[in-house]
Amino acid sequence: MNSTNSKLTYSYYPGCSLHASGKEYDISTRGLFKALKIGLKEVPDWLCCGATPAHNVDELLSLSLCAKNLSLADEVKGDLAVACAACFSRLKTTQHRLADNPEKRKQVEHAIAGSVPEKKVKHLLEILAKDYGLEQLQEAVQKPLSGLKVACYYGCLLTRPPEVPELDCTEAPTIMERVIGATGAETVAWSHRLECCGANFTLSRPGVVLKLSGDILASAKAAGADCLMVACPLCHGNLDIRQKEIEEATGTRYNMPVFYMTQLLALAAGVPAAKLGFDSMMVSPLPLLKEKNLL
Amino acid sequence: MKHTKMTLSTETMNLDFVRKVESLSGSSVRRCFQCGKCTAGCPMRSFMEHPPNRIMRLLQLGQWERILAGRSIWYCASCETCSTRCPNKVDLAAIMDALRKLSWDANGPSKESYVQLANRLFIENIKTYGRQYEMRLGAVFNVKSGQFLKDLLLGPKLLSRGKLKMFHSKNKNITEIENIFNRIEEMRKTVL
Ligand code: SF4
Ligand code: SF4
Repeated sequence: MNSTNSKLTYSYYPGCSLHASGKEYDISTRGLFKALKIGLKEVPDWLCCGATPAHNVDELLSLSLCAKNLSLADEVKGDLAVACAACFSRLKTTQHRLADNPEKRKQVEHAIAGSVPEKKVKHLLEILAKDYGLEQLQEAVQKPLSGLKVACYYGCLLTRPPEVPELDCTEAPTIMERVIGATGAETVAWSHRLECCGANFTLSRPGVVLKLSGDILASAKAAGADCLMVACPLCHGNLDIRQKEIEEATGTRYNMPVFYMTQLLALAAGVPAAKLGFDSMMVSPLPLLKEKNLL
Repeated sequence: MKHTKMTLSTETMNLDFVRKVESLSGSSVRRCFQCGKCTAGCPMRSFMEHPPNRIMRLLQLGQWERILAGRSIWYCASCETCSTRCPNKVDLAAIMDALRKLSWDANGPSKESYVQLANRLFIENIKTYGRQYEMRLGAVFNVKSGQFLKDLLLGPKLLSRGKLKMFHSKNKNITEIENIFNRIEEMRKTVL
C-alpha cells in the first residue's frame, strides 16, 4: 500500500439521513475509506444542517445551524468530509454567504455565540477524485466492475449554483463518471443526470416526487443503464424507496437498483458485499450483481 | 391558464415589498429581461400557476399579492437551476426563499400549508432533538395534515429494513441548540 494514503485524514459530517434512511451510505463510506486507508473521524455532537426547510423559512437559522456545525467540526482534525449532497450544499452555501457579508456574519456569530472557523468542506467525490486521486483509486480496485452499466445521477445540489460547490462544471460535470469509471464500470450518457428528484416534497407532495423521479428512472432506462448511482440520501429515498409507487403510477417496470456511490466503490475495492447494506435497499441489487459476477 | 386583467397604477404597485425581497435575497429584481431561461429549466414549472419568469415580471410590476395568493412559491424545489442559468445573474432561488419567508411571516399557514407544515415540523425537530427523527417527522406530519392513511404502507417497509429509527436520543448539546433558536428570536425582535 502506498504510504501517502495514511496522510489523508478527515473529519466527517454524516448528516441525519445517514443515521437512518440512508444508513447504507454511512456504512459503505466507512468501509470504503477504511479499505483505502483514508482516516475518517465523525464530528461529535453534530446537529442537523437544516437542509432545505431551514432556508425556505429562515435564512439566518439555516446559516447559524451550519455555522455551529463548522465550529464543532473545527475541533476534529482534517478537512470536513460530507457525504450528503444536501448537507454539503448547505455548509458550502453558508461559507459562501458569510464570506462577502460581514453584517450577516455578525448576526450568525451572535446566534451561535462564537466565531465561524475557516474549515475546508469537501464532498466525498472531491476527496476521492482530487485528494486521493483517480490513479490510486484504479490501483485499489480488486474487483473490477466491468460490464456494469451505470447511470450517474448528480441531482441538483452537487454542482449548483456555479459559485458554491466548486466541485466540477455546473452544467456538464463528469466527476461521478470519472470516479466510478476508475473501477472499470461503464457509464451511460443520459438526459436527466442533473434534473431535480423533488426531494423537498417527499413528505408534503408525493405526487411531485412521482412525476420528477419517474422521469429520471425513465431516462436512465432508455439509455440502457443497469442501475443508478447517487451521492445523496434524499435522491436515494425518492428513486429507490418510492420506485415501486412510481412503477404503479406509471405502469412501467423499472427494477432499477439505486446504489450509493460508496457502495459500488467499496465493492470494487474488495469490501465484502455483506458489509455494504445491500439488503436495506428496496430494489434489491443482488440479482444484478450476481448476473455480472460481482458477488 | 386563465387570464385575468391586471390594472397597473401607483396604488397597485407596491414596491416596498419588492425592496424587501431584494434586500432579503441580495438579488436585483430589475435586472430580469424576461428571456424565460429560468422557466425553461425549472422542473416545477408545470405545477406552478406563475412560472419563475412571470414571478419576476409580477415583482417588477409590484404585483406581489398575486404571487402570495398562489401556490407557485411553495412548489419551488430549491434546485437552483434558475439561478444557475440566468444570463443576468438574477438569483431567483434566493428570491423564492425571500418570498416564502415574507409569506410565512405575513400570512402564517396558507392554503399550501402542507409544504409549510412539513418545513415547520422539520425545524421543530431540530429544536427538540438537534437532529432529524424521520419517523416522528412522518407520523406527526400525517396526523397534523389529516392524512392518516398516507404512506401507511411505506412505514413498516422502512422499519423492516432498519431504515427508520424507532427511538431517538437528544443531542448532548441540545441546550446550545435551543440557545441558537432563542438568540435568533431575540434578534428578530430588535435588529432584524
Ligand atoms: S433567466 Fe433571468 S433574465 Fe431570464 S427571465 Fe429568468 S430571471 Fe429573467
Ligand atoms: S429553484 Fe425553484 S424556481 Fe428555480 S428552477 Fe428550481 S424549482 Fe424552479
